[in-house]
Amino acid sequence: MRLNDLMRVSLRQVMRHRRRYTGVVLAIALGVAGFLNIVTMSREVKKNFNENLDLIGGVTILRIYFDNQRSYRPQWFREQTLAALKRLDGVKELSLTAVKYSQTNFQGRHFAFTTMAVDEGFWQVRNFWPLTGKLFGLDAVTGHKREVVLGAELAKKIFGDTHVRGKDLEINQEIYLVSGVLGGVTDSGLANSVFLPLTTAEDRFPGRLLADRLYLRCATWDDVTAVAAAIPGIVKSCQSPEELHVEGSWEALKRVQLLAWWIEFLIYLATSATFLLGGVGIWNVMMAAVTSRTREIGLKKAMGAEDRDILAQFLSEALCLSVGAALLGAGLGRIMMEFLSYIIESRPPENLFFFGVTLAFLFAVVIGVGAGLYPSIRASRMEVVTAIRYE
Amino acid sequence: MNKLASSCQVNGALIRVTDLCKTYDNGIDLIHVLHDVNLKVYPGEIVAIMGPSGSGKSTLLFILGIFLHPTSGSYFLGGQDVLGLDRNAQAEFRRRRVGFVFQSCDLLENSTVYENLEFPLIYAGVDRQDRPERIAAALERVNLGHRIHHSSNRLSGGERQRVAVARALVNQPQVILADEPTGQLDRTHGHSILDHFAEIVSDGKTAIIVVTHDPEIAAECTRVSLIRDGVLYEQ
Ligand SMILES: Nc1ncnc2c1ncn2[C@@H]1O[C@H](COP(=O)(O)OP(=O)(O)OP(=O)(O)O)[C@@H](O)[C@H]1O
Ligand SMILES: [Mg+2]
Repeated sequence: MRLNDLMRVSLRQVMRHRRRYTGVVLAIALGVAGFLNIVTMSREVKKNFNENLDLIGGVTILRIYFDNQRSYRPQWFREQTLAALKRLDGVKELSLTAVKYSQTNFQGRHFAFTTMAVDEGFWQVRNFWPLTGKLFGLDAVTGHKREVVLGAELAKKIFGDTHVRGKDLEINQEIYLVSGVLGGVTDSGLANSVFLPLTTAEDRFPGRLLADRLYLRCATWDDVTAVAAAIPGIVKSCQSPEELHVEGSWEALKRVQLLAWWIEFLIYLATSATFLLGGVGIWNVMMAAVTSRTREIGLKKAMGAEDRDILAQFLSEALCLSVGAALLGAGLGRIMMEFLSYIIESRPPENLFFFGVTLAFLFAVVIGVGAGLYPSIRASRMEVVTAIRYE
Repeated sequence: MNKLASSCQVNGALIRVTDLCKTYDNGIDLIHVLHDVNLKVYPGEIVAIMGPSGSGKSTLLFILGIFLHPTSGSYFLGGQDVLGLDRNAQAEFRRRRVGFVFQSCDLLENSTVYENLEFPLIYAGVDRQDRPERIAAALERVNLGHRIHHSSNRLSGGERQRVAVARALVNQPQVILADEPTGQLDRTHGHSILDHFAEIVSDGKTAIIVVTHDPEIAAECTRVSLIRDGVLYEQ
């Protein structure tokens, strides 16, 4: 039997009995679509999670600092170190800061507090947002502006209110403009701090300002461990790593990772279950087809079909089903992927999709052959006369 | 092999069956259906086989088409020992040398008349562009040219029977084995089928064996054999 005849006959057969096969095909197609979306979207979704959920967002942040109190030679982060860290795989963004103690006199009262000199990326890295007013941005940092953001508690202590945008605050005998009050802070140290552009602090603060703290956000929680392990080496390649410390929320990270692992595991389980069900479905449908088409098999053998012609026909029908289902699933999966990408506003690389499609087609062929083989062999071994006399 | 086959056709029988026995075992007891059947059929002959229901006519035809193996005996077709063939050679034998019309005039369901006639050609490896012509010619012989794209499920009983006959003819086999090919036909169509059979065997190379209950049909054949209690008698 020639290949093109085989294809034509099998396709015709499947199309004519499509109602019998709809369930199986749909099951496999859904499995394929789900699989494709796990392959392509899981990283994007995780990234999105990390960006949006403050709850677990914290676990992707690493705090890197030099403990200068214990060192005779104070250290700070150099330009090339920052650049090297930014290039590291799995690093999303970083923010350089320095800390100094300062004081103010306001309406005759005296306040002492921590001032954090930060760059424009700080809010983003730490997931902070303005409670009132706004958080100063790139223009303030590059323009060396005298703007500050207050922690909410400190704002209340000094002004008795958090709506303080536009007010003046004197720090170390210089006047700064308050641009906003910080929200999203649970740490009382930060709630009692003043934040100002790093550049401004470098210009105006007495003494030497050491930018010795770095906050680094990883792309996903899966990257955190690897990034943390790589940091000392990278710093060392650029400058002395003496008294360098890397801190993370290791306990929370473990819990989040475990949770994510379970979710992923369950999704994979569900997908393989659909695949498995699809396989069982094909097996079942093909077995039923062999029984209900016994006379057809007998007739074809009487017309001179060899065992392998019958085998090839049933096998290629099973393949038509599974590959057709994979095709449908790829289409469905693509639509789902586009939709998800649109929702979370980040799209996976195109070759990941093709990788997933290739894998799904391989699966489909394995399922088609695996589940279709036994019924096909049974069909091909049938004796002509039993098939003809079968009712 | 083919040279041998053609020399046999000139000199002697196309089909030579000797001492053929068939016993069915239905699990409880043995059913002896055929006893020492001897049969010779020469090219150009149409042999009618008659006999009461259940006498073993279909069984004999199944053995001749090697859908069924005899319990003992020998069967040569064109000098070839047919019973010694392996499974693939049997399939080859069925698709090149015999055409079969089943008593129940089985057609492939949910298929058109054309598709029914196409399968023997597919299995015989006939080129796709040569098929329509041969299918049309075979259908013309049974006066069904106008039903070529009809669905087999929508044919009348007689039409189904004629399609089954056309399917047996389409590969131009050496032997046509027809199990009551006229059972559901009126006299005119029945006789016209017999006329076509006569035309086919007139080439002097083909032989046809027809099982029938109709004495009028039998009368048109070259010879009539009778099966009674599993024994074949020449008439
Ligand atoms: N597989 C089988 N097992 C047991 N007995 C069988 C089997 N097949 C056929 N028989 C019996 O063999 C006998 C001959 O059957 P066969 O079909 O050859 O009869 P027939 O002459 O063609 O009859 P009819 O004219 O009714 O078609 C019958 O009695 C039948 O019951
Ligand atoms: Mg019969």
